[in-house]
Amino acid sequence: MGEHATTGIEKWLLDKTGKDIYFWNFLVLMFFTLFEVGAVFFEKIPGTEIEITRLMVWGVLIGVGIIKGYGIAAYFMHLRGDPRIYTRTALFPVLFVLLMLWGIGLSNPEAVTELPSWCTPDWDYATR
Amino acid sequence: MSSHNNHVENSTWMHAVMMAGIFAVIGIIAFAALGIGVANQKHDVYDDAKHAYHDAKEDPLTTSEELDHLYHAEEEAHLSFLTYRVAGVTILVMFSIYAIFLGIGGFVNALQSDDDHGHDDHGHEEHHGSASPIVFSLGIMLFLMGFPSFVVACKALMSQGGTFAFGDILLSLIGLNFVMLGIANWWKEDLPFIGHGEQIATSAPFEGEHIRKAGIWVFIMSEIMVFATFFSSYLRVRTEWCTDWAIRASESGDKCYGVAEGNVTTASDLLRYDVATLMPGAINTFALIVSSYTIVLALKTAKNKNWEAPTNFMRFVLPDKKRAIRNYLIATLLLGSLFIVLKLVEWSHLVAEGFDIGSPQGSIFYVATGAHGLHVFVGLLVMLYLIFKSDTVGFDEDNGQGIEYFGLYWHFVDLAWVVIFPAFYLY
Repeated sequence: MGEHATTGIEKWLLDKTGKDIYFWNFLVLMFFTLFEVGAVFFEKIPGTEIEITRLMVWGVLIGVGIIKGYGIAAYFMHLRGDPRIYTRTALFPVLFVLLMLWGIGLSNPEAVTELPSWCTPDWDYATR
Repeated sequence: MSSHNNHVENSTWMHAVMMAGIFAVIGIIAFAALGIGVANQKHDVYDDAKHAYHDAKEDPLTTSEELDHLYHAEEEAHLSFLTYRVAGVTILVMFSIYAIFLGIGGFVNALQSDDDHGHDDHGHEEHHGSASPIVFSLGIMLFLMGFPSFVVACKALMSQGGTFAFGDILLSLIGLNFVMLGIANWWKEDLPFIGHGEQIATSAPFEGEHIRKAGIWVFIMSEIMVFATFFSSYLRVRTEWCTDWAIRASESGDKCYGVAEGNVTTASDLLRYDVATLMPGAINTFALIVSSYTIVLALKTAKNKNWEAPTNFMRFVLPDKKRAIRNYLIATLLLGSLFIVLKLVEWSHLVAEGFDIGSPQGSIFYVATGAHGLHVFVGLLVMLYLIFKSDTVGFDEDNGQGIEYFGLYWHFVDLAWVVIFPAFYLY
């Protein structure tokens, strides 16, 4: 976030349309949000008989999430254009995030029902 | 903040108290209109629908189709009533907190004599820290230490069981006082700041960068990990559940193959199939994106040395630079407030349909979306101060970084929603 250097695609968009990168980023975010809501809401691709499968929904949600995430982080949060140290700072927790997603999210199935007693809260107290 | 080079008079602080009054009035009017006026009408409709359904149930001539229709009519009337009542109450509570926040912050600072404001014995370039974050953190710690008892006391106050004892809320109240003191002092230090003497980091890895900007990024780094814990927990349980969707998509040999439907109901099962139920979450997503853009526009306006008022109809909203920045920030505040209102309306509908925090699906949903909502609300409280500053001292190309650093936090909240919305509402 801040003064965005107008180089590359930012400059091209500004020259061609008179609108800056923030405006176009905003429109892209709006469009993709509409797209992801539509992907879930419709059972078939509108105008066709092609069924929207669970796998397709996953693909759309993950793909759109990456595009939107990049749009916000790169342009609104200004990581594209700011010194690299900020990108590194933002990416630093990714290692831990991946560890958590793998170590908790995608393995250890007994975590759902077989948590050891030391890490389950005292539900009697919570509902008192 | 290292430079206090703009004198702030008590009348400026009283401006915050006046703004508090405006917020209180708006809250009361909105509550009276939505929470009482419209909601009472909707309650009458709900009562009629309820009686019609119960009468039909006892009438042996009623067909099952008619009964089904009446049941849905009653359910819709109930949800419609809840929408207005919850929206009204939420606006009242939220705007009351805005009023208290601005009122106390302004009043505490206005109590000091005019001579105490805006004087600094240090040179412009001299580094000196602020005690406010420490006081604020101490307050948060005390509040959270007392929070379990605070909840018990609140339940008693709302006639939800138990007996109220003042001792139960004492620690949290002391904590809140420290929080307000920290915030008021923070305001006192920041309001006179007009952009000269921003502290610069002198050593690696942020050498040459603004310390406040580095600080907010390190804070965001920790926030990423907080949300990662929610998300990984959700991923763990979600991949284990045999939801209707997983059952229908399963093939022979899959874990969920042959399992009876209705085994597990997630929030997304209740939300994603109907426009009406999906709408609050979808509107909230758009509201956050638009609010991210409005705060970018506020910063862009502040940083623009050659800003000119628009010549079309927007000139009424953006008449001059100072008011343009203020109005962009107000738009951001309103969009964020809309987010909170719709979130609580949506929660009330889910609870009315039996999806409460008592199940694992409800627990992870309410905790994750609630933590996000809390981040939005905290952001709105900071936004109040930015609106106050933009309306008094003002932002320009020299001190616009205040908006920039807060904007980073606000965009992060938007970014977290980019993950939460598809995971909890659409998948």
